[in-house]
Amino acid sequence: MASTQHVLLSPAELAYLHEALSLTPPIRPDGRAPMQFRPLVAETEILPGTNGSARICFADGTEAIVGVKAEVERTRGYHGDEQEEGGEEEEEGGEERREGEREGQGEWVELTVEIPGYRDDDAGTAFLAAMLSEALLADGRFAKKLWISRRFHWKLFLDILLISPPLSYPLPLLSLTTHLALLSTRLPRLKSEGDEDPFFDDDWAAAPYLYPQGTTTTRPPITLLVMAVGRNIIFDPSKEELAVADVVLAVSVGEAATNSASTKGKGKAIGGMDIDSAAAQPGRSLRLLSVRTVDPPSRVTPPGMPNATNSAYGVAVSVQKQPEARTVEAQAVEGVWKAPRGGAKPAVMAALVQKVLERGGVADEVLDALEAVELG
Amino acid sequence: MPLDTSAYSLALLRVDGRRWNELRRIHAQIRTQAAADGSSYLEMGHTKVMCVVTGPSEPGPRRGTTGGAAAGASKAAAEVAVSVVVAGFSSVDRKKRGRGDKRNLELQSTISNALAASLHTHLFPHSVIQVSLHVLSQDGSLLAALINAATLACVDAGIPMTDYVVACTAGSTSTYAAGDESADPLLDLNHQEEQELPGLTVATLGETDRVAVLVCESRVQVGRLEGMLAVGVDGCKQVREILDRVVREKGKRMVLEGTVVKGEGLEDMDLD
Repeated sequence: MASTQHVLLSPAELAYLHEALSLTPPIRPDGRAPMQFRPLVAETEILPGTNGSARICFADGTEAIVGVKAEVERTRGYHGDEQEEGGEEEEEGGEERREGEREGQGEWVELTVEIPGYRDDDAGTAFLAAMLSEALLADGRFAKKLWISRRFHWKLFLDILLISPPLSYPLPLLSLTTHLALLSTRLPRLKSEGDEDPFFDDDWAAAPYLYPQGTTTTRPPITLLVMAVGRNIIFDPSKEELAVADVVLAVSVGEAATNSASTKGKGKAIGGMDIDSAAAQPGRSLRLLSVRTVDPPSRVTPPGMPNATNSAYGVAVSVQKQPEARTVEAQAVEGVWKAPRGGAKPAVMAALVQKVLERGGVADEVLDALEAVELG
Repeated sequence: MPLDTSAYSLALLRVDGRRWNELRRIHAQIRTQAAADGSSYLEMGHTKVMCVVTGPSEPGPRRGTTGGAAAGASKAAAEVAVSVVVAGFSSVDRKKRGRGDKRNLELQSTISNALAASLHTHLFPHSVIQVSLHVLSQDGSLLAALINAATLACVDAGIPMTDYVVACTAGSTSTYAAGDESADPLLDLNHQEEQELPGLTVATLGETDRVAVLVCESRVQVGRLEGMLAVGVDGCKQVREILDRVVREKGKRMVLEGTVVKGEGLEDMDLD
């Protein structure tokens, strides 16, 4: 699933779309406001055979199902297991432990993405899976929830299925569905104590949620797709809008713990923005977890040709080997489509991220909406 | 976990409390998804599958499908390209099946051949009908559920077909030759029975006795085959009734909602 999906639009259509989206306020092809999300239908705990599951349908018909399954696994590298493991293996495990526990904990979550018609080792699919798991593990608190004892931990398998054909870049859909599935995930209640072999309560009704209900401090992250056209910032772009985007960012945000100061997001994060100072404002304080640039499909769209150089309009054009290459290099002409080239301006990037983290902004709205989805 | 066959001979009840000729609960929905040309959702007991049909459409540079979709559709008739995705969370223990898994490939080619024989593919030359099936939960009779779901989705997509291709499984209560006299044929095996007992999957063309698919992957005494087949074919007729009711109900609702116009010659259609 590549973001560079070919859209069958002519250069003239692309130019029109680009112009409409760079107006103030921008006019989107589906009539939405720039900050407006597509309506969605969501349900949770649809599969009794899983620890947690969710299904989301977007209004454009794209649909995803996520199932979470957990297994108990022996923690590698624990020194108490010396008699069972070979000397060599034990040494290896011990080394890893010394190197840093967090890296080892990241392995406790396995995330796979299935998109119909695409191989599971397709570059685009792998990139989607990487972005989603990166956001999940970035806050460093998630893997700790899977800890049972010093010798055992839960291994969490997240299987993400896109049911519909990929009509638009499915990242927000998959991210929101994963969020809901994790919210509905329950793990059996532990009965054993300390480091003895884990023993669980077989009463499913007593199983606690992975993300405890009621407390809003800890919730799984969400990844939103934001794009910029000119100076306009547009959320949740459709396939056609992506085809004329200047910059596309996948921004992962999580909720900052209300009591502790927001720590900086690690990994690819630009850094925690200081937004806690605005505590008096309504809405939740959000925390930036990761930012990824997504290669927009607009870069591979064919350029238009101005009338001035078009031989079909009676302009005598000297014979040239590659007329297209020439027009690309030529100056931008009003109303003629030219694929965006080069990187994004830092100011635009900063504005995009700022807009996502805004109190009472889109991310807030989405989290509120997902909170309203009834569990069970 | 062995199936307690002695208990069966006592009360003639199976592990889940059914009698020999009873189907599990079948629940089906069509048009579950707005973006697809055709879609369906089917539950047979705890086996749950979803199907999405795209097409008939021009063959694109799609990958990861069987039946040589990459080589381009044949000229004379539309090609039915089936892809089956078995979700990792579908079975009790999580097992990841790759796309190149042999069992998956066999399921895909079986379904593709069965549908191609029943759909009027000659009406759509140079095109591809893409059927993608998702297995959400498995509890036996997987192939039968997949065939039924694919049929429903093709009906929803409006692809002309001769009749429903409906499938069902059948088995026999005893695995050893000595129990021949007491062996009863069983209808619609669940996972536990499928593990223990010989079974087959049969698909027929609608209400006729014409068999479209017959898959038997276990050893079975040849004398019992006839009985199993008869029970299976009988079960297919019951399944057809159920699927037909689902299609009719959906059609009725769509006419009432005004989504589609009532067809000619349907004055006797009961719209209450």
